[in-house]
Amino acid sequence: MIEVRGLKKSIRNGTRTVEILKGIDLVVPAGEFIAIMGASGSGKSTLLGLLAGLDTPTEGQVLLDGTEISHLAEDELAQVRGRKIGFVFQSYQLIPTLTALENVLLPHELNSSGDGLERSRNLLRSVGLGDRMHHYPVQLSGGEQQRVALARAFVVEPPIVMADEPTGNLDSTNGEHVLSLLLDRNRETATTLVLVTHDPAIADRADRRIVLRDGLILSDDRRVNHSNEDHR
Amino acid sequence: MKTTVKPALPWSVASRIAWREVHASRAKFFFVVLSVAIGVAALTGVRGFSESFQQTLLTEARTIMAADLSARMFRQPSAEEDKRLNDLSTKGIERTTVTEMVTMAWLPENPQPLLISLKAVDPTQYPFYGSAVLEPSASLKSVLTDSSVVVVDDLLVRLHTSIGKTLRIGSRDFRIAAVLVREPDRMSATMSLGPRVMITRAGLANTGLLQAGSRSGERFLFKLPPTASSIAQVRKQVEQILPDAQVTDFRESNPALTQGLERSTGLLSLICLVAMVLGATGVGMAMRAHLQQRIDVLAIMKSLGARSSDILRIYLFQTLLLGLAGGVLGVIAGMGVEWIFPMVLGKLLPMRPPLHIPFRSVLAGLGTGVLTTLLFCLPPLLDIRNVRPSLVLRRTVDGGGGEARLSLWQRFKNSRAEGVATGIVLLGLAGIASALSDSIVIGKWFAIGLATALIVLLALASVTLRALRLILSRTRLQLPSALRHGLANLYRPGNQSAAVLAALGTGVMLILTVFLMQKSVIQDMKLSASPSTPNVFLIDISTQELDGVRSLLAKQVGVRGQLETLPLVSGRITAVDGVPTDQLKLANFPKRMLQSVALTWADKEPDGVKVLTGKWWNHGPVDSLAVSEHSAQRLHLKVGSHLTLVSGERTLMLQVGAIFKSDGQHVYGRSEFILQPRDLVGLPVVWYGAAHVDGPKVSAMQRSLFAAYPTVTVINIADVLDTIQGFVGQINGVIRFLAGFSMLSGVIILASSVASTRFRRIREVVVLKTLGARRGHIVKVFSTEFLVLGLLAGGVGAIFANLLTRILLHKLEVVYHVDWRSGLVAILLTAVLAVGTGWIASFHILGQKPLEILREE
Repeated sequence: MIEVRGLKKSIRNGTRTVEILKGIDLVVPAGEFIAIMGASGSGKSTLLGLLAGLDTPTEGQVLLDGTEISHLAEDELAQVRGRKIGFVFQSYQLIPTLTALENVLLPHELNSSGDGLERSRNLLRSVGLGDRMHHYPVQLSGGEQQRVALARAFVVEPPIVMADEPTGNLDSTNGEHVLSLLLDRNRETATTLVLVTHDPAIADRADRRIVLRDGLILSDDRRVNHSNEDHR
Repeated sequence: MKTTVKPALPWSVASRIAWREVHASRAKFFFVVLSVAIGVAALTGVRGFSESFQQTLLTEARTIMAADLSARMFRQPSAEEDKRLNDLSTKGIERTTVTEMVTMAWLPENPQPLLISLKAVDPTQYPFYGSAVLEPSASLKSVLTDSSVVVVDDLLVRLHTSIGKTLRIGSRDFRIAAVLVREPDRMSATMSLGPRVMITRAGLANTGLLQAGSRSGERFLFKLPPTASSIAQVRKQVEQILPDAQVTDFRESNPALTQGLERSTGLLSLICLVAMVLGATGVGMAMRAHLQQRIDVLAIMKSLGARSSDILRIYLFQTLLLGLAGGVLGVIAGMGVEWIFPMVLGKLLPMRPPLHIPFRSVLAGLGTGVLTTLLFCLPPLLDIRNVRPSLVLRRTVDGGGGEARLSLWQRFKNSRAEGVATGIVLLGLAGIASALSDSIVIGKWFAIGLATALIVLLALASVTLRALRLILSRTRLQLPSALRHGLANLYRPGNQSAAVLAALGTGVMLILTVFLMQKSVIQDMKLSASPSTPNVFLIDISTQELDGVRSLLAKQVGVRGQLETLPLVSGRITAVDGVPTDQLKLANFPKRMLQSVALTWADKEPDGVKVLTGKWWNHGPVDSLAVSEHSAQRLHLKVGSHLTLVSGERTLMLQVGAIFKSDGQHVYGRSEFILQPRDLVGLPVVWYGAAHVDGPKVSAMQRSLFAAYPTVTVINIADVLDTIQGFVGQINGVIRFLAGFSMLSGVIILASSVASTRFRRIREVVVLKTLGARRGHIVKVFSTEFLVLGLLAGGVGAIFANLLTRILLHKLEVVYHVDWRSGLVAILLTAVLAVGTGWIASFHILGQKPLEILREE
C-alpha cells in the first residue's frame, strides 16, 4: 500500500521558488491500478518521483507498506526502490552498454541474491524477445526496448510498478502490446500499478483516475464495480 | 523557377549566439580555456624561462674561456691588423691580449732554474668573465702589479719559497704576491710545461724576454657588448682580420658544456612542445564533448533552415574566442612563471627575472594558442555537417545513434573532410613544432614521431578495445555485475573510447618520453662528468719514470682509479694529400702549429674518444691514423686523406682512417693525432698522465710527486671541473623541474578528458539509482571503467614512449636502455590517475537525484 500525507514539493528556479506540488493526500491500496493525468507542468512526474522515493519532498510523507521513505538515507532508499518498485520510463532508459539480457538481469544483481539469469531469460521470452536476448539496446526498435524495460521492471517481482508515459514514444500497436503486458502483470500478480499518462483511453482502463492541476488533485475517480476484464 | 541563394549568417549574429552560449556555460568552458592556457603558459613561460636559463649557462661557458671569443696566434699583430682590431672597439667590442710563453724562473738566492709557464695579462681587463681566485683572497687587479707576480702552489713547492719572496724572471725580480688558486681559462690555455706564473704585460715587457722570434703565443680575448651582432658575425670579422689566427668562441670552450647545452636545448624544446600538444588535445576533446552536448541545438537550428556553414561560423567564432581567452590567460600565467621561477630557484641558480615584457614571445604564445585551438577543434567542428535535422524528431538512445557503431576505418572512409582535417592538423602541428623548436632535428622528429604515433595509437587502441570486447562477449555473464558493467562501459554508444584511449595514451607517451629522455640524457651527462673524471694532469713524465709515478699515485691517499696515461711523440706535418705544408691554404690555422704536433698511439679506441667517421684501424696497404674532429676541420682532412709526418729521422706516410671526437674528460681527449703503435716504436716519448685526486689531497700528492720526480709538472684543473659539474647539475635540475611541469599539465588534460564524458554518466547514474543501485555499486562500475582505460592507455603510451625515446636518443647520440620499471610505474600511475581524476571529474554525479531524469522526459 502507498500512502501520501500532505505532500509538497517546491524547487528553486534562480531567485524564484516554484511550488510544484501544493499538498497531496492519497492512499493507493495494494494491487490497485491508478492512472495519474494532468496537463504538462501539473506535477504528475514529480508526484510519481516522490512516490518512488526518487526525490525528497519539501513537506509531507510517503509511506510504502507503512514505512516512511521520505527521509531515508540514499542507500536505504535505493534498497527500498530496488526491492519494492519496478520502474518504466517513457524513453526506456536502458543501459546502452549492456545487452537486453544484462539489462533485465541488472536489478536482480543489484537487489537480490541467487541466480536471476533463468528468470531474466523467461521474462524476455514472455515479452516476446526470446531471440533478442544478446542484442544491445541500439540494435532494438523502440517497442522492443520498452519491452526489455518492462522485463527489467518485473525481474525482482516488485509489489509496485511505476510507469511514466510508458507508451508515449510508441506507435499504437507497440503501445497496446506494452500496456497489455503491464495490465497482465497487475492482474496476475496483484502488482500495484501507478501509471502517468496523457491518454484518456489508457486512463479509462485504470481502477482509479487521478487528475492533477497546478500541483493539487483536481479529481480522484474510482470506477465502481470496475474489473480489468471489462476492458480486455 | 528562380532560386535565390540564401545569404550566410552575418558574423554579428554568429558572434552574438556564440557569446551567449559561452556565457551560459561558463563553468564548462573554463576547462577549455584552462587547457589552452596551460599550453600557452608552457610556451611563453617555460620557454622564456629555459631561454634565460640557457643564457645563464652560456655565461658560465664564457667563464671557461674568460671571453666571448678568442684568437690565438704565434706572432705579434701587424700595425694594420692592430688598427682593424681597434676598429672593432668602436662597436663596443672590448679586447685584451694574453701572452703565453715557456721560460725559466729562479730565486735570486738559488740560481737553480725552473721551467715555468708564463702568462702575461692586463689585470684591469682580464678576465672578461669569471675571476682569478687568489690566496690570500684578493682581486687580481689589486694584487698583480708591474713588479709582482702570482704563482701556483706547485711553484712554491718546487722552489721551496713562499708568498712575499722574490722570483727572478729574465732580467727582473718580482715579488710573489699571492697564490693563483684558480684561473678561469685554464682549460683553454695551452697545456704547457712548468707551473703557471701570471705577470702583467708591462712586467713581461720589462723582463726583456719578449723579443722578435721568441716562442710566445698571443691570445686576443674579446668581449661583446649585449647589443652586439651575433657572435658568429664578430667571429667572422676577427677571422678576416687575422687569417692565420686560431679563432674559437665560447660555444666550443668545453665539449661537456657544449653537449650539455645542445641537449638541454633540445629537451627543453621537447618539453614545451609536449605541453602545447597536451593542451591542444585537451581543447579538442573538450570541444568535441561540447558539440555532442549541443547536438540537439544543432539539429534544431538545421531544422529551422541553418546551413552547416552558418553553424560552423558560430562555433568557429566560439573557438576563436576561447583560444584567445586561453591565450591571454596563458600568457599572463607564462609571464608569472618566468618571473617566479628564478625567484623560487634563486638559491639554486644564479638567475634573474627578465626586466622587460617579451612582446615577441607574448605574440608567439597568443598566436600559437589560437592556432592550435583552431587546429585541434577542426575535426569536431567539421562533424557539425553530419548532424541530421531529423534528430529533433527522433532522439536515439544516447545521442551517438547508429553512427557510433561504425568502425574507425569506416568513419574515416565516410568522411573525407575529416581525413583532410586530420592532415591539416598534422601539417599545422609540424609547422608549429618546427617554428618553436630550437633544434630542428628534435622538431622534425617530434612532429613525424607524434603523427606516426597518433595514427598507430588510434589503430592500436581500436584493436585493443576490439580484443577486449571479444573476450568480454565470451565471458561476460560469468563476470561479477559491476566488473561486467564497467568493462561494457568502454563500449558505450557514442563513446569514443578508442579516441580517448589514444589521447590518454598520447599524453602518457609524451610525458614518459620526456621522463625517459631526461633520465637517459642525465645519466649520460653523469657518466661523462663522473666523480672519477681526471682533474689533475701530470706533464712530462719520461718512460723510465712512468711505472714509478703510477705506483706512487696508487699509494697516494685521495687518488681515485688508475692513472690514465698518454704517450706523446713530437712530430711535424710536412704535407697534406701530397701538398707541402708551406703551400697549404689554411684559413685561421697558424702554420707554425704544424711544425710541432703531438703524436700518440693507441691500438684500440681509448676512453673518452668516439669515432665519428671511419674505422678504428682500417688495415690497408698504408697505415692509418685517427685525427680529432677539430684538427680534421682545420686541415680539411677526411677519411682517406693522406698525411705526411716527420718525427725524428722517420717519415711516415699515413692515411686518415678515422675522425674522432673527444669528451674532453679523459687524457686522450688532449690528443689530436692517434697513430698505430708500430709507427712510433723507438721514437723518443714523453708521457702525459691524468688522475682524479680528491680536492684537498691534491697538494699532498703534488709534494710527494715533486719529491720523487721533480721534473714532472702537475696541472690542477679540479676547480674548472667543479664548475662544469656544477653546471651539468644545474641542467639536470632544471630539466627535471620542467619535465615535472609538463607532467602536471598532463594531469589536468587527463581530468578534462574524463570530465568530457560527464553528461553521459549522469544519465547512467540516475538510471542505476532508480533500479536500486547503491553508491558502492556505481563506484565499482565507474572505477572499473576508469581503471581499465588507465591501464590500457598507460600500456599503449609506455610502449610508444620507449619507441619514441629510442629514436630521439639515437638522434642525440645517447645510448638507450629499456626501462621496465619506469614503464610499469607509468602504467600503474596512469591507472591510479585515471581513477582519481575520473572520480574528481564525476564526483557530483553520484549525488544526482534520480528525479532529474523524469523531468527530462
